[in-house]
Amino acid sequence: MATTEVNGKTFEIDEDGFLLDYNLYCDEWVEYVKSQEGIEELTDEHWQLIKVLQDYYEKNGIAPMVRVLSKLTKFKLKHIYELFPSGPGKGACKMAGLPKPTGCV
Amino acid sequence: MPEGSLCNKKPVDTAEGVTTLLADKSGKTYYEEMKSLDVDSDLLWKTIQNTCKSRMRTWLEICAHCGMCADSCFLYLANKKDPKQVPAYKIQSTLGEIIKKKGKVDNAFMLHAMEVAWAQCTCCNRCGTYCPHGIDTGIMFGYLRGLLYQQGFTPWEMKIGAGMHRVYNAQMDISSEDYIDTFEWMIEENEDEWPGLAVEVDKKNADIMYTVNAREAKHYPEDLAEAAILFHVAGENWTIPARGWEQSSLAMFAGDWAACKMQVDCVYDAMERLEPKRMVGTECGHAHRATVVEGPYWAGRKSGRPPVESIHYIEWLAEALRTGKLKIDPAKRIKEPVTLQDSCNYVRNHGLKKIAREIISYIVEPGYFIEMCPNKEHNFCCGGGGGFNGIGYFRKQRNVGLKIKRDQIIATGAKLVIAPCHNCWDAIRDLEEEFDIGIKWSFLKPLIVKMLIVPDHLKPKEEDE
Repeated sequence: MATTEVNGKTFEIDEDGFLLDYNLYCDEWVEYVKSQEGIEELTDEHWQLIKVLQDYYEKNGIAPMVRVLSKLTKFKLKHIYELFPSGPGKGACKMAGLPKPTGCV
Repeated sequence: MPEGSLCNKKPVDTAEGVTTLLADKSGKTYYEEMKSLDVDSDLLWKTIQNTCKSRMRTWLEICAHCGMCADSCFLYLANKKDPKQVPAYKIQSTLGEIIKKKGKVDNAFMLHAMEVAWAQCTCCNRCGTYCPHGIDTGIMFGYLRGLLYQQGFTPWEMKIGAGMHRVYNAQMDISSEDYIDTFEWMIEENEDEWPGLAVEVDKKNADIMYTVNAREAKHYPEDLAEAAILFHVAGENWTIPARGWEQSSLAMFAGDWAACKMQVDCVYDAMERLEPKRMVGTECGHAHRATVVEGPYWAGRKSGRPPVESIHYIEWLAEALRTGKLKIDPAKRIKEPVTLQDSCNYVRNHGLKKIAREIISYIVEPGYFIEMCPNKEHNFCCGGGGGFNGIGYFRKQRNVGLKIKRDQIIATGAKLVIAPCHNCWDAIRDLEEEFDIGIKWSFLKPLIVKMLIVPDHLKPKEEDE
C-alpha cells in the first residue's frame, strides 16, 4: 500500500488516495484532503457533514446516501456541492476518513 | 487450503456478508486469502462442458494468430505493444489453457487469469471489430470472468458489487423506500424552479418507465432531478418502478451469472407489472448492455428482447429534440471546443453512433465539435470499462491504460468532453485527476437543462410586488 506524509505524520492510503485506517483520522489528514480538494477554509458546515458521515459509517460500515446527509444536516444538495465540489461520495468521504465507496462512484 | 473466510467460492448473499467484506479495507485479507485458494478442477471442467458452447470453442479453434487484433486493443497500445497484451494471446493463454487442461489449473494460474480478465481486458469488444474471423475476445473474457467468479477468483469490489445485487437488487445498498425518498427529495428541491415537477411511482401504462444506475440515488441525486426536469419539460407521461429501478449490473462485471439473471428479472418484472409503452434507461453504457442487450438471454427470453421496447437515454433525448418536445435556445449552445466520448456498450456494440451525433447537432454551435480520432464504433474504450474503474487492486494498470484516452482528448484540443455514460464519465474524471490536462467532462442531462427554451406555462410565476 502507498503512504503519504503530512506534517510529519505518515498515512497508509489506498490506490485512490483514501485513508486506509479510519482510526488514524486526525486534523493533519483533514488539512491534507482540504488542500487536495481545493477548499479554502473549513466552516462549521463542513464539520457537520464530516460528523454525519463518520457517525453513519461507525454504525453501518458504509458511506450513507446523500439523502441521509441532507436529512441530518438540512443542507440542500446544491449546498453540499458548494462545500465539497468533488461531491459527497468522493471529497467528503475522503476528508472524513471513510474508504472509497465501492461500485460506480 | 480450504476456502478463506472472505475469499471463497460462495457468493455473498446477505447484508451481513456484504458488511463483513466491506470492513476488509481494500480487500487486504481477501487478496491474501486468495493466494491460497484451491481450484475445484472437477467443477470447473464440468461447468465448461455444460456452458462453453460451439461458438466459443470454434473461436478458440479458428484463431489464425494473425495479430490483426493487436493494434485494436488500447491496453496493447498503452503498454508499449507488449506481445502479452495482444487480445488473441490474452484469451488463448487463459481461457484457452483452462480448456486444453480440462480445468486442471492451479492457484497461480487462476491469479494470473484474474489479472488478465479484469486488468487487461475491459470487454470493450473493439478487437472483435477487426478480427477477420469475427472472433469476439471481449465476449470470451466475459465468459472467463464467470468461470473465475465461480472459483472465487474475482476482484474484491466485484464480489461486493455482485453481493449488493443479490441483497438489494441494486449495485449499492439502497432499498425501494430509499430510492423513492431520494427521487421525491430531488423533486422537492427543484419544484420552486420547475413548478409542477413531479414523479409518479408505479404508475401503470405510462409511456415511459425510467430506470437508472444506483449511484445516482446514492451519490449523485442531481442526475435524478435532471431526468425528471427533462421529462417534465418534454411533457412525457412517465413513471419510476418502486422495484426494478436499477438498470446497471456489477454482477455482469463480476461474472456472477446467477446474480445477472436475478437483477435483470427484477427489471423485467417491473415492465410486466406496470406495462409501460417503453423503458428508457439513464446515461449509462453497461446498464444498457446488461438490461437491453445481454439481459434477455440471461433471463431466457426467446425473443432476445426485454418485455417492452427499451431504449437508451440518448435515443429518447434525440427523439425529444427531433420532435420539438425539447427545444434548445441557440444562444445557449456550446461555443467552445468540445468532443464526445462514444460508449463502447451502446455505440460500438449497439449501433447508436448517429443518434449521439444528432444530439450534438442541436447543442453545439457549428464549428465547435471535434471528433476524437478514431471515433464512433472505432473509438477506444474510455479506459475504465468492464469494472476496471472500480477495482483498486488494478489501479496502477488502469492509469497506464488511461493514457490512450488522454492522448485522444488532447489531440482534439477540446476543453469539454461530453460523456453520456457513467463509466466513461468516471474514467475521464480520473484521467483528469491523474494527468491534469485541463478539461471538463459532463453528461448530457445537465448541459441540456441549462440550454432549454422553457415554455411560459412551465416557468415559475413571478412573485407579486
